[in-house]
Amino acid sequence: MTYQGEQLIYGYAGNLLIYLSFTAALGSALLYFFASDKNEIKWRKSARIIFLVQFLSTACIILLLLFLLVNHRFEYYYVWQHSNSETPLHYIVSSLWEGQEGSFLMWMFWNGMLGIFLVKTAQKWEPVTMVTVSLVQVFIASMLLGIDFFGYKIGSNPFILLRDHPDMANMPFAKVPDYLSKIDGRGLNPLLQNYWMLIHPPVLFLGFALTLIPFAYAVAGLWIKEYDTWQKPALPWIFSGVAVLGAGVLMGGAWAYEALSFGGFWAWDPVENSSLVPWLTLVAGGHSLLINIHSRQSYRTSFALLIITFVLVLYSTFLTRSGILGDTSVHAFTDLGMSGQLLVYLLFFAIAGFALLLKNWKQIPSHRQNEHLLSREFWMFTGALVLCISSFQIIFTTSIPVINKIFGAGLAPPVNPAAHYNTWQVPFAVIIALFSGAGLFLKFRNTDRKLFLKDILLPVIVALILSLAIILGLSIKRPDLIVLLFTSLFSIGANTKYIFRVLGGGWMKAGKGLAHTGFAMILAGALISTHKSVVISQNSSGIDVTALGKEFSNRENILLMVGDTLRMHAWPAVPAGRQVGRGEYLVSYRGKELHGKNVLFRIDFMKPGEKDGDTALHLFSLFPRVQLNPKMGNVAEPDTRHFLTNDVYTFVNFADLDTDKNDSVKISEHTISIGDTILLSNSMIIPVNLYRLPVNDSLILMAGLSPDSLELAVKAELEIIRMKKKSGYIYPVFIISKNNFISFIDDEDKETGISVSFVRIFPEMGKIHLRITERKNESRDFIIMKAIVFPYINILWAGAVAMVLGTVISVIKRIKK
Amino acid sequence: MKRSHLIAIIIIALAVGAIIATISDSGTYADFSDAFANEGKEFHVVGRLAKDKEMIYDPLSDPNLFIFTMADDKGTEKKIFLHKAKPQEFELSEQIVVIGKGVSGEFHAREILMKCPSKYTDNQVRAE
Repeated sequence: MTYQGEQLIYGYAGNLLIYLSFTAALGSALLYFFASDKNEIKWRKSARIIFLVQFLSTACIILLLLFLLVNHRFEYYYVWQHSNSETPLHYIVSSLWEGQEGSFLMWMFWNGMLGIFLVKTAQKWEPVTMVTVSLVQVFIASMLLGIDFFGYKIGSNPFILLRDHPDMANMPFAKVPDYLSKIDGRGLNPLLQNYWMLIHPPVLFLGFALTLIPFAYAVAGLWIKEYDTWQKPALPWIFSGVAVLGAGVLMGGAWAYEALSFGGFWAWDPVENSSLVPWLTLVAGGHSLLINIHSRQSYRTSFALLIITFVLVLYSTFLTRSGILGDTSVHAFTDLGMSGQLLVYLLFFAIAGFALLLKNWKQIPSHRQNEHLLSREFWMFTGALVLCISSFQIIFTTSIPVINKIFGAGLAPPVNPAAHYNTWQVPFAVIIALFSGAGLFLKFRNTDRKLFLKDILLPVIVALILSLAIILGLSIKRPDLIVLLFTSLFSIGANTKYIFRVLGGGWMKAGKGLAHTGFAMILAGALISTHKSVVISQNSSGIDVTALGKEFSNRENILLMVGDTLRMHAWPAVPAGRQVGRGEYLVSYRGKELHGKNVLFRIDFMKPGEKDGDTALHLFSLFPRVQLNPKMGNVAEPDTRHFLTNDVYTFVNFADLDTDKNDSVKISEHTISIGDTILLSNSMIIPVNLYRLPVNDSLILMAGLSPDSLELAVKAELEIIRMKKKSGYIYPVFIISKNNFISFIDDEDKETGISVSFVRIFPEMGKIHLRITERKNESRDFIIMKAIVFPYINILWAGAVAMVLGTVISVIKRIKK
Repeated sequence: MKRSHLIAIIIIALAVGAIIATISDSGTYADFSDAFANEGKEFHVVGRLAKDKEMIYDPLSDPNLFIFTMADDKGTEKKIFLHKAKPQEFELSEQIVVIGKGVSGEFHAREILMKCPSKYTDNQVRAE
């Protein structure tokens, strides 16, 4: 059978490119290996060309896949699975990296690009580092092969045809020659249709790729037994990685805050954790390297930390892609049956790296004498170790599913993850804040005690006053958080002082101070915005659930009827601009509207009048939405109003999504006996009795009928049982006139909007016929909403910007040197 | 003893502490018989939604209460009182984990996790 409309040439080209990129990666690894051994310029030249071929073929694969996505070539499984004809053009790139294959391609692309920079800058280190880079490319390229190797599936090919995919075997569509004209893609996951998702994955993967270069340098140093000359060229790479990976992780937080409805920017989700942990060890490794360079110490630590950082990146990919997190994370990839291959990738570099380190352990120089207590290197070293413990604690808890798998233990993740992690991470953060604040006033080797104390005196006083003001102003009571607040404010103050001191020497000198300030601002911002966030949508109606125990009193969702105005829960007043003095909002649900695929709910926030009875002043409106996606499920998206000092965050938990139901009526016909029950959508009707009415009954007169012309009038007594309300009675009337015309007087139940016509009588069967009209919008539209105020969250975002900027400045300064 | 050795010992002590704390902090997966044998203690119970049983969510009277029936892995069915709003796409869930405790024959859940494989592996080619 020949299929119509398929364009198979792109698939052939794609497969060719995949094989080419795999072979070229293998080739460049081998050639660089020879080049490192013989150190011949000829080997090196051909290795460069082959590496460039590898990079270009990866770039071509990406372009080809993008081309197929843009043109909706659904004959390709990847295109079908990750996009559909309605996917907007700007989200097509998100489709590219939604799947594992696409994200591997992106990773390989960044590795290749950085490899080219490395070739240009590494000089004598080029062959020994490029062997590692090329080997990593071999492993990643193998993830795309999609071939059977002695019965074992290697890789998943992004160019496989829809009808060739194993999941599609024997599907009916494959028997239709023109199936292509009849199908549409499955579409992009609605959660990923967010602008942060356009930028967060590439930045994160660039960060991952940047951990490879320091790893390659460390391995190269061990390999050629030069333990101290690789640090200087590796340093800018490490801190570029710190900046980019840090930005990537924080962007993930921003995405979660903007697009997900768990209410916050960090949930200690396994996927988030596993990308944070390599960042922590990379920061530790970078500082350890600074010690190497300035005081010729802690070489072993640097080697170990840079190896472990890269291994943790591989472990993170393993966790998110092997399906092992299944039950514990919302945003892991689906399992493609490649966990074995991923494990080999992880173990290869972990074992190779650590074996090399152990082999060289004895030869690596280590320091003999004690560092001085007031030396920068001592505190930098201790800080690096604290970062290690911190990352160990995070990765250990995150690995519970892995531990279960290996040891068969039935451990469940902590019942309250935030409390579990914070117990450990808050003390670590206190130490890091303290060290990062004082560190820059310490000199390498030794510091004059008096001078140091004089330097930090002012920051300590400022931090004391500020934290006292904040503690009282926002009523922070937990002792651990009070200590963290003080130490992070101290760090902000001390580093700001440092910035002003060095500013005379130009902006370039302010980099590390700015990065430290930013980090401390992230800590302070996260602390205040999370700890002092208030759910203002507390429910005031309903059943008292506190009777069941204190922990069940989470009435965090509020019911809003359309048009009604409710007072939100108060939160500590923050004096600022247009906000409400008393820290209270009046909130009103104004209705919903369909915009494309989104149902928008308009929620007005108002300021209460000065006195009761005054009109409320409209402040702003929020439009939380529900994205309709019949194929993958609807997704609620929050909407947030950003103020300088706090954010108001709102999302809709539950709503009727039917947007056009104005006066839609449902008519049903029923022939039943007395005592039978008619089930309606929200009530029941039971005929109780029939009465013969005198023809001059007031009911008939009121209906405007003339009693003289009537033969018979029968009134039915119907009991109407309304859900959650008292039952009532309605009385429709059936009338026969003398000339056998039939007429009836309807009756309507005001509570439910149900109206009943009594249209016939069957005396011989003892039955009556009723026509029941239900008005579907008999109930008012309502939503269930949650609203949270996050105070001072902008400190966190400003800190993120400062940290990244500061790190970039220091990298530029290093490179210029 | 060198200062760095002292630090190393502290580090190792902290690491061991973190492991112990994680294990003691971690919840336990259980079925209903465990949960009701230790009423008042918090458990993670894994199971499936009993789709034939009634689900009650009446936001007009209480938006923070959702009642449904779940069958655990052994097939025991219990009524769950979830003290939260009804989760989105609840009916599509294939597997549910409820976190909460047994209270006189009823399971009161504080938190719910749902696994909806259909969301990601819905591999049906639909004709238009």
